[in-house]
Amino acid sequence: MATNISFILNGDEISYEVKDHWTLSHLLREEMGLIGTKEGCGNGECGACTVIVDKLAVNSCLYLAIEVEGKIVETIEGLASTSGALHPIQQSFVKNGGIQCGFCSPGMIMSSKALLDKNPDANHEEIKHALAGNICRCTGYVQILESVEAVKNMGGQNE
Amino acid sequence: MSDYAIIGKRMPRVDSRAKVMGKAKFTADLKLPGMLVGKIKRSPYAHARILNIDTSKAEALPGVKSVVTGKDTEGVKWGVFAYTRDQEFIQTQKVRYIGDEVAGVAAVDEETALKALDLIEVTYEELPAVFDSMEAMASETELIHGDFPNNINVHVNIDTGNVDENFKKAHYIREDTFVAPEESYFQAEPYAIVARFDHEDCLEIWCPNGGPHMKSKPLSNAFKIPLHKVKVRKIAIGGAFGGRSEICPVDYICALLAKKTKKPVRIQFTREENTIATRQGHAMITTHKTGVDKDGRVLARETTCYMDGGAYSSTGPIATSVPFLSMEQAYRMGSVRYNGYRIYTNKPIRGMIRTHGRGFAAGLDTQLDMIAEHIGIDPVEIRLRNSRQPGEYTSTKSYVDSCAMDETIHKAVEKSRFKEKWGKLPPLHGIGIGTNSVQTGFPMGIRGGSQSFIKFNEDGEATVMSGVVDNGQGNDNMLVQIAAEELGLLPEDIHLVSADTETTSSDPGSYSQVSTFVGGHAVKIAAQNCRAKLFKVASKVLKVSPDKLVAQNRLIFVRDDPEKSIPIKKVVRISLLNFNSVNAEGGYWPKVDMKREWVKNPYGQMCEAFSFGTTIVEVKVDPNTGQVEVLEATAAQDVGYALNPLVLEGQFEGSIAMGGQGGMLTEYHEWNGGRCINPTMLDYKLPLACDMPPKINNIIVESVDPKGPYGAKEAGMSIAMSAAQAYSAAVSNAIGVYMDSFPLTPDKILAAIKSKES
Ligand code: FES
Ligand code: FES
Repeated sequence: MATNISFILNGDEISYEVKDHWTLSHLLREEMGLIGTKEGCGNGECGACTVIVDKLAVNSCLYLAIEVEGKIVETIEGLASTSGALHPIQQSFVKNGGIQCGFCSPGMIMSSKALLDKNPDANHEEIKHALAGNICRCTGYVQILESVEAVKNMGGQNE
Repeated sequence: MSDYAIIGKRMPRVDSRAKVMGKAKFTADLKLPGMLVGKIKRSPYAHARILNIDTSKAEALPGVKSVVTGKDTEGVKWGVFAYTRDQEFIQTQKVRYIGDEVAGVAAVDEETALKALDLIEVTYEELPAVFDSMEAMASETELIHGDFPNNINVHVNIDTGNVDENFKKAHYIREDTFVAPEESYFQAEPYAIVARFDHEDCLEIWCPNGGPHMKSKPLSNAFKIPLHKVKVRKIAIGGAFGGRSEICPVDYICALLAKKTKKPVRIQFTREENTIATRQGHAMITTHKTGVDKDGRVLARETTCYMDGGAYSSTGPIATSVPFLSMEQAYRMGSVRYNGYRIYTNKPIRGMIRTHGRGFAAGLDTQLDMIAEHIGIDPVEIRLRNSRQPGEYTSTKSYVDSCAMDETIHKAVEKSRFKEKWGKLPPLHGIGIGTNSVQTGFPMGIRGGSQSFIKFNEDGEATVMSGVVDNGQGNDNMLVQIAAEELGLLPEDIHLVSADTETTSSDPGSYSQVSTFVGGHAVKIAAQNCRAKLFKVASKVLKVSPDKLVAQNRLIFVRDDPEKSIPIKKVVRISLLNFNSVNAEGGYWPKVDMKREWVKNPYGQMCEAFSFGTTIVEVKVDPNTGQVEVLEATAAQDVGYALNPLVLEGQFEGSIAMGGQGGMLTEYHEWNGGRCINPTMLDYKLPLACDMPPKINNIIVESVDPKGPYGAKEAGMSIAMSAAQAYSAAVSNAIGVYMDSFPLTPDKILAAIKSKES
């Protein structure tokens, strides 16, 4: 079974023929080639596949593609400007060592964005809570948390 | 202290921009034209004889392009050493653990490949299985490998002599046993591999690896093709922690499917497969018997360790030795006898892992705390009385040059205010200390050295070639920093070509903490050689001798007269116009004892430098739930020289998370017979952001090793070991019971509190 769906992806209107059993991560990665969204488990456990749907951070490996009909989807590919200027959260992760292997990074950054879009002054506890669904095996989270905290002082400007 | 322009600076990593943008490509992100999906048929039994495999139905399924079984492997076997080749790439006779490979399929899509797996009919005759190393040694049923009596796979025996005599002289002796089950790596990226044979019949592969040259050689052997025909390509890697060190059967199976179908094939492991069918950490039962003099100095020690090795050898001889070696490096011992046994069981295969055995190291340090209490000194004092000193030899005859172990103890003690807190904390609060020492490399014979090539392009930028691989720890950045420093360029002027076996020379790989010491060193020497060529040309233009010149910030200038300068780009162009290319090579081979061998001759120089460190942790235990709250962690590590503090701190904190927070409190595998029942990230409890200590103090100690590049040694693995010890010591201190079974889960803590009360 296939269904034609329309949605907004990183600001662009998209219409796509999707099979009903496809997950959003499958649609993004395998069909549309947006490989920035990672898959670390496919079971909703690691958060590597986090994207934002209608302002909410979701695990795209658990989210059916047909469910994004009429919704607004943001992925890591949509963060930097077309000229390549990094989003403040991305800048902060680079500057503060928030990445090591980088496999968790797109998911971490999308979870952080969903939080900061809603609550730009999020405190340390709120940040930890928002990232509780994103596993990082490399960093011990310290530099990741510092990266998110530091965004507050950057004035929300692109690089 | 330094005049370095780039080395020693908090420099954001060169690979981070691509990673934050989601542009870095990992293996599962690769899509090649015509690529097929590969899947593996695995054994449902822990121990069984294969009577028949019928693949006809699977082969007849539309969309299936190839099915391979052990018949197609020509009997080739894998093992890291010639004497440990015990694993067929696809089993033909027996399966030895739940998950053992019995067949591989390549199909047009995942659904078809999965359907085909179900259509492969394997007839087994089940055999009695053993899941415990002690039972395996005593077992009278069919051996897991016929040629290994008592299922003993590896026996490492080290004896410095005088052990029994010294025990007789001891003032106090105690013997304690410590146990810990298996742990796993849980790299963020599940294992994946893409393989194809190109138009010249070269095998091209992409996969997470601890060293591309460690993959290419066994694959060239297995396929009986020359080494240059195996091209392991560079790809972003989502963590290793010791678990990507060797080739695994799927590498071979994927390549075989690619060969048969003449198409690229991609195999992506599920999270469960990554846990079960790559490697795990060994379960360990360790007995330390230690005799000390009246001041607490160790006169004699006897350590016996039984390691559950699972179904095959893997890195067995190394894994059986490293826990002991780390101990003998960290502490002086009058005399020591070690017997390490790695036992086959019908469980997944065990390899090397960052902590190298909680039951071993944490046990040793716990026992030191017990001894200290008995003779009336504190945990810091007993460590200072036994700590490794520079200029000494280890028990197995490795010379220790730079060593700031004592400085790490003093600095960690001071920062954590250990002395003020020890014995004075409120009930159920505790503080504990652990130390570590890690080697920078192993004697690896022909593959022990690394070589680098550098070429200048006419625009004044340089291409650096190195076999070093980046598993996520920042090796690429390390190489770029070194090259930029030596060549006088900026990091963005360096184009790195690395971890590709076609274009780079052999390198030992990144899994023995050797990347900076050996691979970084090679780049440094190559860059110095290249700079010498630039200086020769520049000295003619500037009319000063080359030894008066400095290269920095894209310029070559006179040290005492910096106004006199010439752009590097111009020097390159002058050189080219005079028919002289600007390129150079450099190599580094550590001076180790090539006769040293893990089992046959475990004595002699192991590597050129060792790192040393101390971790202190303060905790609070909830007596109602058994939960541990970590209040503060402090890690002081003698890294030799800090090439990039930003990267180092990330390694420190990651080590606290993996070795301490996860490794000592929550992480372990649970089993039902041979079946791992917590292979996923939900059931195996990895630390989350909210679990981490609110405060981690990183203290970089620099002993400036005379042989290391800029004096650098190691920093990636060590702290995970001392963090495990510090966590366990702190909990023991909080509840007043020395814990001997790790990790310290709430049930064990509650039971210990209860046993103390009654
Ligand atoms: S891949 Fe979606 S949560 Fe892990
Ligand atoms: S950086 Fe490797 S998992 Fe987070």
